[in-house]
Amino acid sequence: MSYQWNWGIFLSPAASGDSTYLGWMLSGLQTTILLSLSAWVIALALGSLMGVLRTVPGKWLSGLAATYVEIFRNIPLLVQLFIWYFVLPEVLPFGLGDRFKQDLDPVTQQFVSAMVCLGFFTSARVCEQVRSGINALPRGQKNAGLALGFTLPQTYRHVLLPMAFRLVVPPLTSEFLNIFKNSAVCSTIGLLELAAQGRQLVDYTAQPYESFIAVTALYLIINVVVMTLMRHVENKTRVPGYLGGK
Amino acid sequence: MISIDTVSKHYGSFQVLTDCTTQVKKGEVIVVCGPSGSGKSTLIKCVNGLEPFQSGTITVNGVSVGDPKTNLSKLRSHVGMVFQHFELFPHMSITDNLTIAQEKVLGRNKDEARDKGLKLLDRVGLKAHAAKFPGQLSGGQQQRVAIARALAMDPICMLFDEPTSALDPEMINEVLDVMVELAQEGMTMMCVTHEMGFARKVANRVIFMDKGQIVEDDSKDAFFGAPRSERARQFLAKILQH
Amino acid sequence: MYEFDWSSIPGALPFLWEGMKVSLEITLSAVIFGIVWGTALAMMRLSPVKPLSWFAAGYVNLFRAIPLVMVLLWFFLIVPQVLRGAFNLDPNTDVRLTSAMIGFALFESAYYSEIIRAGIQSVPKGQVSAASALGMSYAQAMRLVVLPQAFRNMVPLLLTQAIVLFQDTSLVYVSALADFFGAAYKVGDRDGRLVELLLFAGLVYFLICFAASQLVRRYQKKLNAHVAH
Repeated sequence: MSYQWNWGIFLSPAASGDSTYLGWMLSGLQTTILLSLSAWVIALALGSLMGVLRTVPGKWLSGLAATYVEIFRNIPLLVQLFIWYFVLPEVLPFGLGDRFKQDLDPVTQQFVSAMVCLGFFTSARVCEQVRSGINALPRGQKNAGLALGFTLPQTYRHVLLPMAFRLVVPPLTSEFLNIFKNSAVCSTIGLLELAAQGRQLVDYTAQPYESFIAVTALYLIINVVVMTLMRHVENKTRVPGYLGGK
Repeated sequence: MISIDTVSKHYGSFQVLTDCTTQVKKGEVIVVCGPSGSGKSTLIKCVNGLEPFQSGTITVNGVSVGDPKTNLSKLRSHVGMVFQHFELFPHMSITDNLTIAQEKVLGRNKDEARDKGLKLLDRVGLKAHAAKFPGQLSGGQQQRVAIARALAMDPICMLFDEPTSALDPEMINEVLDVMVELAQEGMTMMCVTHEMGFARKVANRVIFMDKGQIVEDDSKDAFFGAPRSERARQFLAKILQH
Repeated sequence: MYEFDWSSIPGALPFLWEGMKVSLEITLSAVIFGIVWGTALAMMRLSPVKPLSWFAAGYVNLFRAIPLVMVLLWFFLIVPQVLRGAFNLDPNTDVRLTSAMIGFALFESAYYSEIIRAGIQSVPKGQVSAASALGMSYAQAMRLVVLPQAFRNMVPLLLTQAIVLFQDTSLVYVSALADFFGAAYKVGDRDGRLVELLLFAGLVYFLICFAASQLVRRYQKKLNAHVAH
């Protein structure tokens, strides 16, 4: 049994007629990138908010944030995705679910569900990183901020968060990478991102190796680009004379 | 200026402060000393409300610290505090450390805050370091910046929480010199410190604490001349062995 | 308003349990293989022999850069062909479970290897020196002194990774293998009760993973208390 390699397959016209198979790959890549970036914005915003809440005095708010984290950390991403995509539109009150199903085209429905799902899922992880960053700061920093007359929100804004975020750039980098990798899960609801395009190409061309090698290579490239970018961020935000100790 | 009246504090069943009472008048310099764990740092942090306390009252310039209606941020903005570990903000330049609270808390404009900050930085002898970051300065230098940062807020009194105990010995004097100068200018000061030389030079009174209680509260001559309690005598004897 | 109907769940429990067994089987085999192969990779990575260290670094970085879904697709493509070629299997034999197990095991080893490497590096260098000073060889120092300490510190992380792995097994959905999630989906699809079955699956995963992570946390606390004294 010998495999017939055919790298030219990418340049031949795709079954859809309006594009080449290379075009499929690139459109998948584009969806993956768009999806991951928009989910990352949600994850950062929500995760930072929750991370701050986990460190504020008062059991009520920090307990709320802790519950949030436990829920999103202890259910598989795939199950969460299916719940966002299949369950939520059915059970949303006030006809919101029906509007979601009727007013949005299927591709948008898939994209929105995937984006929200990845965003919330990752926010729970971002929350834990932000919390550990804040807790890693010397306790006196908060006191110093308060002693100068800052309110608690001002102390977070000017003293604690700028330093905490610098400390957690490396773990956030790995969460950022994860969001790209996790986005592949969204192929299961039919969203035509990179991995799904790869599978579709296999179905149409019977050239699985070329397709999978190309998809894998594209994920590797994303990985390298993100790491380079984040290393740049890390260098940009480095504090002179600060070695990360206490 | 500062009045502390039968203040008690406990963490769970652990009693940290028991019925502490004392006053600091305007222009007075008070040194608080005592063995570690005696509650002196906790007491000084109660003065600006960084540590809550369960009973008793503390008033600063007539404002009650423990009263839930008190705007603590406002009170703290004119009570300067210097910490054991300096607590400069590592991600800001020295200039920004000196100006951020002036701008965000007191609402001063950028230029005004900058002029004030740099003037005080000059006063503590560090004008040349304005553009550097805290991590690039020695401990002694950082602590002098921290004093300047507190002074930039035009405080009505200053609290020092072991300002020299995290410093290498050769850096202690540069910080103490700044504090002595401040005392001689008439700043109201409450200092938790073991530097007895500093106490002898500028203190009006010395408070000795042990196990959460104020054991002695006396003029410095009386304290150093003939401490009334055995515990204070032992403490002084130990300090002198250094 | 949606009307819930949970009645299809009780009858489906035996089928769901079969699925859960598949999930647990994959998890367990991947944990065991992952720790063994992961330890080997970690030691290679830290070894002074450059080609070994390069191989381990390449392996770990490659697997950590690719989505698990993609890894699984690869294994469902390659493993059946290799197995059939090697053992002359009937082309109709279902090797999806084997493929999944192998895929997960090789994938998770990369993650385990990083945890174990960090654990080994967390043991102070002085410990190796002390062991050498007592006349132990490098291998003996590793086996008798470094690894026991490293593993004690790592156990909570290894267990946490196992919980993550258990959640990840749901991704065998891409091969239509009936693990717990796949079984739940099939029942929901058959009875038109996808909403209930998905929520039920989510709840079951949550209860298992939450309970397990609480146990790990308790263990970690005990460990910390032990070290502190």
